[in-house]
Amino acid sequence: MAGLKNIKLKISSVGKTRKVTRAMEAVSAVKMRKTQERALLGRPYATAAISILHSLAGGIDAANHPLMQKRDGKAALIVITSDKGLAGSLNSNVLRAAEEVIKEHHLNKNEIVIYAIGRRGADYFANRGYDVRERHENVADDVPVAELRTATDAILAWHNAGEIGRCYIVYTNFLSTFEQKPIVRRVIPLAPVALKEMVEGIPPVKGKYSNGKIIDKTPIYTIEPNAEEVFNVLLPDLIHIIVFHALLEAKASEHSARMVAMKNATDKARDVGKMLTLKYNKARQAAITREVSEITSGIEAMR
Amino acid sequence: MSTFHLTIASIGETKFDGDAQSAIFPGSDGEFTVLAHHEPLVSTLKPGHVHVRDAAGVQHAFNITTGVVEVSANHAIVLI
Repeated sequence: MAGLKNIKLKISSVGKTRKVTRAMEAVSAVKMRKTQERALLGRPYATAAISILHSLAGGIDAANHPLMQKRDGKAALIVITSDKGLAGSLNSNVLRAAEEVIKEHHLNKNEIVIYAIGRRGADYFANRGYDVRERHENVADDVPVAELRTATDAILAWHNAGEIGRCYIVYTNFLSTFEQKPIVRRVIPLAPVALKEMVEGIPPVKGKYSNGKIIDKTPIYTIEPNAEEVFNVLLPDLIHIIVFHALLEAKASEHSARMVAMKNATDKARDVGKMLTLKYNKARQAAITREVSEITSGIEAMR
Repeated sequence: MSTFHLTIASIGETKFDGDAQSAIFPGSDGEFTVLAHHEPLVSTLKPGHVHVRDAAGVQHAFNITTGVVEVSANHAIVLI
């Protein structure tokens, strides 16, 4: 009878776990939709900024701007991960991609400055002795713009001080609910082509959001006050956009990865529950059979 | 009165997207007005207000701290 009771306890605990994971799945689904919508809200801005850069680059030598030039110095790595786990292989994929960048460019630990957004990435690099200069945790889902400014400003300040010569950003790209891919983009030196690619990749591959193309146009502009000033305002903004969109993509990926992970957990919990119920019924039946046979054999003995 | 298409966007949201009769900008080199079929122009902006008169003649004002405006092909984009 002790076995029966144990099984019964297990069944109820599995049932409770299932309820929890199902609730987490539902929460992640809602958050995922919200982050996707927000990513699309910022899209006109990015598209406009790129088309300005695109049209300006035709007439003026934008390549002379420090942000578009290759320079010696350390490399900054912006690593975007989630704060919490329970999201499948999401974070380990990002971290692996980050390690690959480091290997690919033959960088030593002292040549890298890490800007970590999300606790997982910060801890990972801190434990391995990297220079984690800044760490941001608890970034809200709606990604406050002011908070983001501090990230871009820090990167730009390091660049202006001549400490870093280039910057990469590693995050998870949201392809669809079931598919997220870690991705590495070069932020500095800035390349308009990469930026264009990124913005076009904002809407999901499938889904209700349609894709608008960037207009290619190169008229001759009157520039006020001068090209340098315009680039000084525009280029930091573009870097800002890259970081912002990376963060939104990462958020959307995090929530969908968690949703899928929780869905798997829910399904598994149901299977385990079924199996345990079967086991319980078998054990109960065996106990009844045993009792009946004991009684009958007792009656036989009394005759 | 003829109109042009105007988009005023900040990183998080789009503040204005539609047809406008005129828009007054606080340019770095002084205030200027953009009307329909303005010549191609790129200018940085300084802190101040952008005054927009939309297609129906209604006035809108937007506070800005920084920004860039680009005008071409009867289309103006303001990034703030």
